[in-house]
Amino acid sequence: MKASITICMALLGALYLLAGCTDSARKTKNEVTLTLGAYTVPKDAYQKEILPAFQAYWKEKTGQTVRFEESYAASGAQSRAIESGFEADIAALSLEKDIDRLSKVGLITHNWKKVPGDGFVTCSVVVIAYRSGNPKKISGWHDLRRKDVDVLYPNPKTSGGAMWDINAIYGAGLKLSEISTGKQNKTHARELLKAIQQRVRIMDSSGRMSVTTFENGIGDALVTYENEALLRQKQGKSFPYILPEATILIQNPVAIVDRNVEKHGNREVAEEFLRFLFTRTAQTAFAQYGFRPVEANVAREFEDRYPVPKYMFTVEYLGGWGAVSAEIYGQDGVWSKIMEELSHAQ
Amino acid sequence: MRNKTITSGDLLLRTLSLGYISLLIILPVCALSYEALQSGAGTVWHQITLPQAIASLRLTLILAFIIALINIITGTATAWVLVRYDFPLKKVINAIIDLPFAIPTVVTGIMLVAFYGPNSIIGGFLQKCDIEIIFNKPGIVLALLFVTFPFVVRAVQPVLIEMERDMEEAAQTLGATAPQVFVRIILPTLLPSILTGGALSLSRALGEFGSVVIVAGNIPFKTLVAPVYIYGEMESYNRAGATSVSFVLLLISFLILITIHCLQKWSRRHEIA
Repeated sequence: MKASITICMALLGALYLLAGCTDSARKTKNEVTLTLGAYTVPKDAYQKEILPAFQAYWKEKTGQTVRFEESYAASGAQSRAIESGFEADIAALSLEKDIDRLSKVGLITHNWKKVPGDGFVTCSVVVIAYRSGNPKKISGWHDLRRKDVDVLYPNPKTSGGAMWDINAIYGAGLKLSEISTGKQNKTHARELLKAIQQRVRIMDSSGRMSVTTFENGIGDALVTYENEALLRQKQGKSFPYILPEATILIQNPVAIVDRNVEKHGNREVAEEFLRFLFTRTAQTAFAQYGFRPVEANVAREFEDRYPVPKYMFTVEYLGGWGAVSAEIYGQDGVWSKIMEELSHAQ
Repeated sequence: MRNKTITSGDLLLRTLSLGYISLLIILPVCALSYEALQSGAGTVWHQITLPQAIASLRLTLILAFIIALINIITGTATAWVLVRYDFPLKKVINAIIDLPFAIPTVVTGIMLVAFYGPNSIIGGFLQKCDIEIIFNKPGIVLALLFVTFPFVVRAVQPVLIEMERDMEEAAQTLGATAPQVFVRIILPTLLPSILTGGALSLSRALGEFGSVVIVAGNIPFKTLVAPVYIYGEMESYNRAGATSVSFVLLLISFLILITIHCLQKWSRRHEIA
């Protein structure tokens, strides 16, 4: 019994120590720490290119060493982590919504869109990946309605990023109806989404899981992001895809988390880092890792690699994230209702 | 065992362990319940009666009961074989029983997809026969069976080892058939532990996430179980929905635990009688 008391004491002691020693040594004169809370997809671009480049740049400019503390998680999870106390100085997330939440709780107090590129550091588009040789002859959204085509995309409830996929389909329906009849037809868009949703066999919990499932040989078409497809190609996989003529422009935001940089006293380096993300060096790195650059010169350099779809639209075309959250994914939203209807049809 | 004089050491140990349980389990559970109920009974009711929430809860409950039933049969049989028979590698097999507890559940999901998925030999064959396991309900059952397998075996095994053989032998000498001996003598003794194991696997199955999210396919109304639904609501900023449905799962688990407790009481009385 004495032993167990000792163990209890030791455990409590360990807890106490853990709680006490996390914040020491954050800043010395010749070293400054910057905490990056990012979503998973651009990890390679940051780790292999951008962070080392910025470290070299800052060292030369000020003589200080920047030490990065990096965390990569799903965009929603990262946003929640920062909200509940993870002290990231820079938030680089997938969706505007996830940054907006940090503004709402007062962690970000400035207007994060007031920087070059409107606060969006990278872009991409939603594309359709198909099997090598295109055995099912997939050429656009309309093919995904066919009875002989099995479609994959992640569940928009578990994967914030999957909302891009569904926004792309629904928006394409609106856009195409607008082009053929002169005005947006919501019924038409809804029908397209419902017909495609009916062909979806698996809704994985994240975009990456969907890619894995597709590569495991399941499904004939995968709705995914261009940067995912390019990343797989960069890794030497065969990953053919098409750019639908009507699709959404994905915009990934980045922002300084004011309350954390004030607490850490590293605003100067944080702001410089944010500016650095829009420089030629960083933008080229992003472009090489499959993202569409936002900086005009770099974009021109890569225009062959990143052709602009004929009818490209942004989330603003659907009324912005606020409208999309309610009208598509809310309880009475288009997608939620479609899922109910499909369950009755079984 | 019971000692009337309480030393200060006893008191300290008691305080520490109660404090430990409080910090580890009781208080977090209270925090969740508080958060769920804080949004008001109306909100909780609204959230748990949403069509998707009901569908996912119903699916989870039905599947959990199915796997508890299967576990009761296969688990008891396994315990029986391990206790009553001798065969090569018995010790190894006995150790393997606990493996599901040691494997991260995500890995379980990946394993099942690798073995039964459409790309595997077995999955390919089944697909030709139009049987779909992975990415459909049978896949969920398989994953849940895997992660809950040890419960019944490990509950029944010690009782079976302790069981005196003389009653069985007496019955046999009196001319009872083997099925009669099993139903009238062995089963009543084993029943409390079988039910305990079954209840444990039931409550474990209610909460399983890691393996299911990989093998289920996660289509709302079809293959979306409650824990994945909760995760989805969490990810899409509906905290009230997530906590409300969690609260329901918590209540069900709590009811199951109370049942286990009553069963154990009953079994103790049974032993004395």
